[in-house]
Amino acid sequence: MTTTLEYAKWEELTEGAEHELTVGPITRTDLVRYAGASGDFNPNHHDEIYAIRAGFDKPFAHGMLQGGYLARLLSEWLGPGSFKNLKLRFNALTWPGDMVICKARVVRQYEEAEQKLVEIEANAMNQRGDVLIKATATAAPWS
Amino acid sequence: MPLDKSVLERNFPEFEFRVERGKIREYALVLGLNDPVHTDVEAARAAGFEDLLAPPTFVRQFWHENPENDPMPHLGYDPKRRLHGEQEFEYHKPLVAGMNLKGRNAIVSTREKEGRRGGMMTFVVIETRFVDEAGELVQVARRTLIETAAPPKEA
Repeated sequence: MTTTLEYAKWEELTEGAEHELTVGPITRTDLVRYAGASGDFNPNHHDEIYAIRAGFDKPFAHGMLQGGYLARLLSEWLGPGSFKNLKLRFNALTWPGDMVICKARVVRQYEEAEQKLVEIEANAMNQRGDVLIKATATAAPWS
Repeated sequence: MPLDKSVLERNFPEFEFRVERGKIREYALVLGLNDPVHTDVEAARAAGFEDLLAPPTFVRQFWHENPENDPMPHLGYDPKRRLHGEQEFEYHKPLVAGMNLKGRNAIVSTREKEGRRGGMMTFVVIETRFVDEAGELVQVARRTLIETAAPPKEA
């Protein structure tokens, strides 16, 4: 059996606590694999000619690929199945060759109806500092 | 193209699917999720889940399974100007392998706004509600689909 990850402790998840994950460089193979896993076969994400005709320089990543990386950061930090909600706002495109740098921060730690909860603000940026996604989440941390 | 308003009158049928272990593993591996609760059944059970736990954005693959049950292809949007602007998830129960889910799509809001360089931008929010066999709510997904304003030369 594989060992379970260690998640952040409640005492560590005070306001301002941060966590990071860097993924990349993103490859065209990542885009094709995500298309297969997610069922999103929009040709802008794999068909060079289609993407160029649609006004892009080349195929670009699905917003939900970076969204998936952000969710991975939060899930591996706070614990699996701990989310109450997750909201992603897509801001800029990710191109093959780009890095996806995900950062998350606790903005509120509180108790409500005997549940220990945290509110999180997170974003994903590329290596040029462009914000790709802004995210918020509420979670009941694992430990 | 403006929003095809006839889509607002339409009801989209419920669809059913089974959550499979192999699909959960594939989704987790593509995103690099290292947590064994997504790939190893024993680890998932040791963590208190009945079976492999689906990653947080996993339901993405089911909301437009087929054009009959998804409003998106019927909005009348120009596919070249269609953007996925926002995505929201609400989590009500753990989503694990072996569950038989029912999903249903509905348009919950629409609005139009003038683009910065003229022309109209359209925003449509499609909500997908997923329930289990007992009829209990498991997850809700809400996607905001934007059609950006046509460039002035095309308008």
